[in-house]
Amino acid sequence: MRTWRRFFSHWQSGLGVLLVGSFLALAIFAPRIAPPTDPSQPSDYKFMGRKTDQMPRPPSEQSPLGTAAGQIDIFYSVVWGTRTALRFGLIVAVSSATIGVLVGAVSGYAGGRSHAVAMRVTDAFLAFPVIAGVWLFQLVLFPPAAAAQPTPLMRVLAESNITPVMVGLIAFSWMAHARLISTNITRLKTADFVLASQSLGASRRRLIFKHLLPNSISPAIVLLARDIGGMVILEAAFVFIGLSSGGPWAQILVNNRNWIIGTGGNPLTYWWVYLPPTIALILFGIGWNLLGDGLNDALNPRDH
Amino acid sequence: MPPLLKYILRRLMIIPLTLVIITLTLYGFAMLVPVEDRAQVYWPSSLDPDRLTAEKLQQVIQRIIHDRHLNDPFPVQYLNWLGNLLGGEWGWSPNLHVQVLDYLQRRIPVTLEVTLYAMLLFIPLGIVSGVLASQRRRGKFDNGFRATAFIATSIPPFVLGLMMISVFYVGLHWFAPGRLSSNMAVIVQSPAFHSYTGLMTIDGLLNGRLDVTKDALLHLVMPVVVVAALPWATVARVTRAGMIEESGKEYVIAAQARGVPPRSIVWRHTLRNTLSPVLTASALSAATLVTGIYVVEIIFNLKGVSEMIVGAAQFTALDVSAALGFAVYSVLLVLVIMLILDILQAVLDPRLRERIDA
Repeated sequence: MRTWRRFFSHWQSGLGVLLVGSFLALAIFAPRIAPPTDPSQPSDYKFMGRKTDQMPRPPSEQSPLGTAAGQIDIFYSVVWGTRTALRFGLIVAVSSATIGVLVGAVSGYAGGRSHAVAMRVTDAFLAFPVIAGVWLFQLVLFPPAAAAQPTPLMRVLAESNITPVMVGLIAFSWMAHARLISTNITRLKTADFVLASQSLGASRRRLIFKHLLPNSISPAIVLLARDIGGMVILEAAFVFIGLSSGGPWAQILVNNRNWIIGTGGNPLTYWWVYLPPTIALILFGIGWNLLGDGLNDALNPRDH
Repeated sequence: MPPLLKYILRRLMIIPLTLVIITLTLYGFAMLVPVEDRAQVYWPSSLDPDRLTAEKLQQVIQRIIHDRHLNDPFPVQYLNWLGNLLGGEWGWSPNLHVQVLDYLQRRIPVTLEVTLYAMLLFIPLGIVSGVLASQRRRGKFDNGFRATAFIATSIPPFVLGLMMISVFYVGLHWFAPGRLSSNMAVIVQSPAFHSYTGLMTIDGLLNGRLDVTKDALLHLVMPVVVVAALPWATVARVTRAGMIEESGKEYVIAAQARGVPPRSIVWRHTLRNTLSPVLTASALSAATLVTGIYVVEIIFNLKGVSEMIVGAAQFTALDVSAALGFAVYSVLLVLVIMLILDILQAVLDPRLRERIDA
């Protein structure tokens, strides 16, 4: 109870919950809010005219936020994009956090030489820019059309909609978690309650998962919450470079990049094309960040 | 040996180890690519693959596989590749039709220039705004700062960049994309202009052409601001949190009791103890900074290193040498940034240097 009271003691945390909650609601009720043309096979885009028509149309009764190049209904894509964004953020953030927590917990508990080796590898990975990793995974796991024979692994990845950006972000975002957890576990493993449990004959697995992890995982949860937003924003940058295709928010922004410039030095000439997805991205990032900050205040009271 | 020098040497010794771990991982992944595609790394640049018949192409590739021992066990292949890398043979790129190292070397100055000015901007600015926000906690300035920092971390860099192009280039004609205006590019390419560093702002000064330096600086404003937005927010937030935490410590209260002016306590006492974690946080996010720089180079058409990656998803050939070269080069850049920040930290925080002797 005290934790929750601390969580809601700042209005910022409430705002974070509100924002994240709204995105969840949008994702769940997407079919009601923006009915797809074919309800049995909802797609991420809805076309309001000829696909070859590249001129964006301003908001009208038919499409409340107007259309983008190719007559894509923007309101529809922003609503359905929440599903893709949540899925992407959750998969990437949860997977990288799991890897990091496991590496940190096991190496921190083992200590000694294996801990030193694990931490050196962690530090080395910290020096690796995600962008280079994404390109490499693109080559290895998602080779260009010329490679006709997909391996079973490639087929599984393609069928589950896993993109190179996802693999790259997971592979190069776990390090912060590993460092946090291993520091905490190294500190905790000589604490009295752990030694007591050990002397009663607790197994190694029980020590790690029942005693050490629950007492050291809170900073990783905070980081995880912040990552969910951050990963989706990073994905947009990779889509812009052309390394990957992305969710509807990023895809609309990238496909309509020329309209952002507007005319005569006024970037707001075609505001409806890019402001809704941009604001969705910003609010998504802010929401998860505020949620993370609130969790930080609530779970690590010593920080404040 | 002075402790600072010892500290720097220690940090330098970590770099080769990091590189071994990274290159092992990289080559391990590259081994998953079919051997015929990996053979293209060693394609002789004198041969144009598009002019060869399919049969001849196969012959050349089989010969490369044989000559370069590409069917040998992993450790042998890895050592061969590492040796080539150190010897300056970074391989040939079938998509770009160039030697990868040549390509990288020509473009490194562009990336370095953006990196340099971005760091000169976001570190001091982040520290100052973080300190100011911490002094007016939950006040108007603090709330405004936090809102700006949230937007800076959450806006996709290319949206910010394109909006800036619209306002400052199309509208106000203040700044332009690219590296130099066309009339300045002519001066730079003329034989009279000597290229010392490849960094336009510095070459301009060394050649006594202040107009070139000024033009290059004006072209750098937009890219540098977009690159700096995200790391600025990180530095400022860490500074703010650190300042708030330090402000309750006993030495601060003691200084207040002795009647040290508040401004002096903040800037000379508290800040000094906060800087170390701030620089650590910046060093840890150096890889993110480099990713940001690559994106910005593409937005503003700076023709930097990252141009090789544009549209890589549409490449028809598996460009192993380009991907590996790009990765190795990027890691080197990150390590240099980390080293600079580490040294800066040791200069500012004597405790770090002393710890080694203890």
